[in-house]
Amino acid sequence: MVPEFWPEFWYGLPVFVQDAAWFVLLLLPALVTGLVVVWSFRPFSLVWAMIWRYRWTNALFILLIAISVGLGVGLIAQERGIRQGTARAAEKFDLVVTAPGSEVQMMLATVYLQPVDVPLIDGKTYDAIATNENVALAAPIAYGDSFRDASVIGTTPAFVTHLSGDLAEGRMFAAVDEAVVGARVPLDIGATFTPSHGVGEAAEEGAHEGAVLRVVGRMAATGNPWDKAILVPVESVWKVHGLPLGHAPGHESQIGPPFDPDYFPGTPAILVRADQLWANYALRSEFTTDRTMAFFPGAVLSQLHGLLGDVRQVMSVMAVVTQVLVTLGVLAGLAVLIRLYARRLALLRALGAPDRFVLSVVWTYAATLIFTGAILGIFVGMAAVGIISRIVTARTDVLVEATLAWPEFHLVAGFVSLTVLLALTPAFMALSRDVITDLRS
Amino acid sequence: MPLDLSIRDLVVRSREGRDLLTVERLDVAAGSKVGIRGPSGAGKSTLLFAIAGLLKPASGTVSWGEHRISAMGGAERARFRRENVGLVFQDFLLFEELSSLGNAAIAARYARASTRRSIVASARAGLARMGLESLGGRRVDSFSGGERQRVAVARALANDPAIILADEPTASLDRASADRLVQDLAGLASESGRTLVAVSHDPALHERMDLVIDVVDGRPLAGSAGHADGLTTNAVAP
Repeated sequence: MVPEFWPEFWYGLPVFVQDAAWFVLLLLPALVTGLVVVWSFRPFSLVWAMIWRYRWTNALFILLIAISVGLGVGLIAQERGIRQGTARAAEKFDLVVTAPGSEVQMMLATVYLQPVDVPLIDGKTYDAIATNENVALAAPIAYGDSFRDASVIGTTPAFVTHLSGDLAEGRMFAAVDEAVVGARVPLDIGATFTPSHGVGEAAEEGAHEGAVLRVVGRMAATGNPWDKAILVPVESVWKVHGLPLGHAPGHESQIGPPFDPDYFPGTPAILVRADQLWANYALRSEFTTDRTMAFFPGAVLSQLHGLLGDVRQVMSVMAVVTQVLVTLGVLAGLAVLIRLYARRLALLRALGAPDRFVLSVVWTYAATLIFTGAILGIFVGMAAVGIISRIVTARTDVLVEATLAWPEFHLVAGFVSLTVLLALTPAFMALSRDVITDLRS
Repeated sequence: MPLDLSIRDLVVRSREGRDLLTVERLDVAAGSKVGIRGPSGAGKSTLLFAIAGLLKPASGTVSWGEHRISAMGGAERARFRRENVGLVFQDFLLFEELSSLGNAAIAARYARASTRRSIVASARAGLARMGLESLGGRRVDSFSGGERQRVAVARALANDPAIILADEPTASLDRASADRLVQDLAGLASESGRTLVAVSHDPALHERMDLVIDVVDGRPLAGSAGHADGLTTNAVAP
C-alpha cells in the first residue's frame, strides 16, 4: 500500500519536520472543515457579536476547555519531565558496587541519598576494585550521617570533581575537618558544623560531639539530590565514628586514595568508573560476587521506568479519555449555549439566509470557543508543569524541567480537530429547530 | 414580472393537527398596502408567516406571481425571501452588538459576492432615508426603540425587495415613533410600488393601508378599504 520510496523519504526527514508534519496533519481536519463551512460567507463579525453578547458565559466555557486541556497536556509533560529528571540525576553514576541486597534500595541510597542501613564493603574488596586495570575512578560513598536536612557523605576529592566539575566557589577539602557543600546547602564558606549520626528523624544529634567540620568549598549545581548534600573526606566519616582512617600509621593526615586495605574500615557503596564503556560490563560481572553486588543505576532506573511504563500508558490513555470526555462536555455545552442564540439564528433563517450560512455562524462560534480554549490550555499546561516541576524539585531535590513538547501539541491538535468536527452536530441541530417557534420565543 | 399574491384553499395546521388558518381565496395585487387585524390568537401572524414562506401549509397554494412558494422546499423558500421579501418584526430582532449598518446590511454576509456591494449601498441609503445616518457606527443597543425599528426597516429594504412583510411593527413603540414608522412604511411602499402586508392592531397603520383584512378564528373576512384610492386589492371571504 505504501509506495516504496516513502519509508526512506519519511525516516530521512529530520525529527522536527516529522513532528511538525504530524501536527499539521492532525490539525488539517479542523482547517478543512472550517474552509468548507465558511467558504464564500462572511460570518465573523456576527460571530463576534454573538460571543460578546454572552461574554461571561462564553469566557467561562473557554476557561473550562483551557483548564481541562491544560491538565491533560500538563500530565503528560510532567510525567516525561520527571522521568528525564531522575535519569539525568543518575547520569554520573556509571557503576555502583555495594554489599548484596536490593538494587533498587541501593540505587535510591547511593544516587538519590535516601537513608538506608546497609552492610559495608571491606578494604580488600575495595582494593581489588580500585586497583583493577580498567577502573579509572573508584570512590567510596559513605553515607549515614547528616547535618540538619543535608546528608553528610564521605568520599574522595576525585568523586567531587567527577560529580560537579570545578567548584563554584572555595576549594576542595584537604583535611579531615573540611567539607565541600552542595549548591543548595544553606552553609556559607567558613561555616562550621557538627554532623549527626543517622539521617532525618532518626538522626542522633550529639553522637559525634566534638567533631567540628568547616566548609571550604561549594559545588556547582548538579540537578540531583547531591545539591543538598555535604561532602567530606571519607576519612572524616571514619574518624567521627572512631574507626581507623584508611591509611597506614604515619600517613594519618592523607586524604583520598590510595587506601591501605588493612586500615580500611569499610564503605556502604563504591562508585566505579571505567575508562572504556565496554569495560563497565566486564567490571559488573567481575564484581558481582557472593560478597558484592555491582549494578548500573541507569539500568535499574530504566527497569523502574519500564515497570512504570504500564502506568505511563494508563496515564496517556487517561489523558486521551479525559480529552474525549472534555469533547463530549464541550459538545453538550455548545448545544445548550446555541439555544441562547436560537432567536437570532431563527431571524437569519427568516430573512432568507442559506442553511449553510447559519451552519457557518454556529460552527465558527463553536470553533472559536474551542480554538481559544485549546490555545489558552497550552498556556495553562505550561504554567501547571512549571509549578508542579518546582514543587517536585523542591521535594525530591531531583531537578525536573518539564516543558511542553510535540506529543502535547499533537494531543491538542487532535483534540481541536475532533471537537471542531463534532461541533458540526450542534450546528446541524440548530438548523433542525422550528423558525417560527424560535422567532416567537 | 409583478408579484401578485394569490392564495387558494390554504390550510395551515398545528403540529397537533388543529386547523390554525383556512383561506379559500385571497388575491393581492402587486404594489398594494394591506393591513391584517384581528383578536390575539386569531391567526394573523400565521397568515403572514404563510405568505412569507416561513411555514409549509397542510394543503392549498400560496403564490407570488410565478413563484408557488407553498410547493417549494425550505432552501428554495429561503432563496425567495432573500431575493424578494423584507421582514420587519415587533421587537426589531437586531444584533445588538453590531452597528446600524452592520444590521441593515446583514444580508451582505451571506449574499453572492457580486451583490454584496449593492446590498451595503442600499442599506446605507435606507438608513439615510430613515434619518439614521448621523448615528454612524454606534452599536444599536444604545438606540431608542423607534431608532431600532427604523434600522430594522432599513434592513428589510437592503435587498431591494418587491414585498415588505411586517409583524406588529409599531407594537413596541411610543405613539410618536409609531406614527413616524407608519408614515415611513407606507411612504416606502407607495414610492417604489412595493407590496406591503402588515399585521397590526394599530388603527393609525390601518388608516394608511389600501385594504384591511380582519382575521377571525383562523379565517380572513372580507376586507374593508382604508383609503380606497387606486385600490387593486381583492380579498374574498369564504
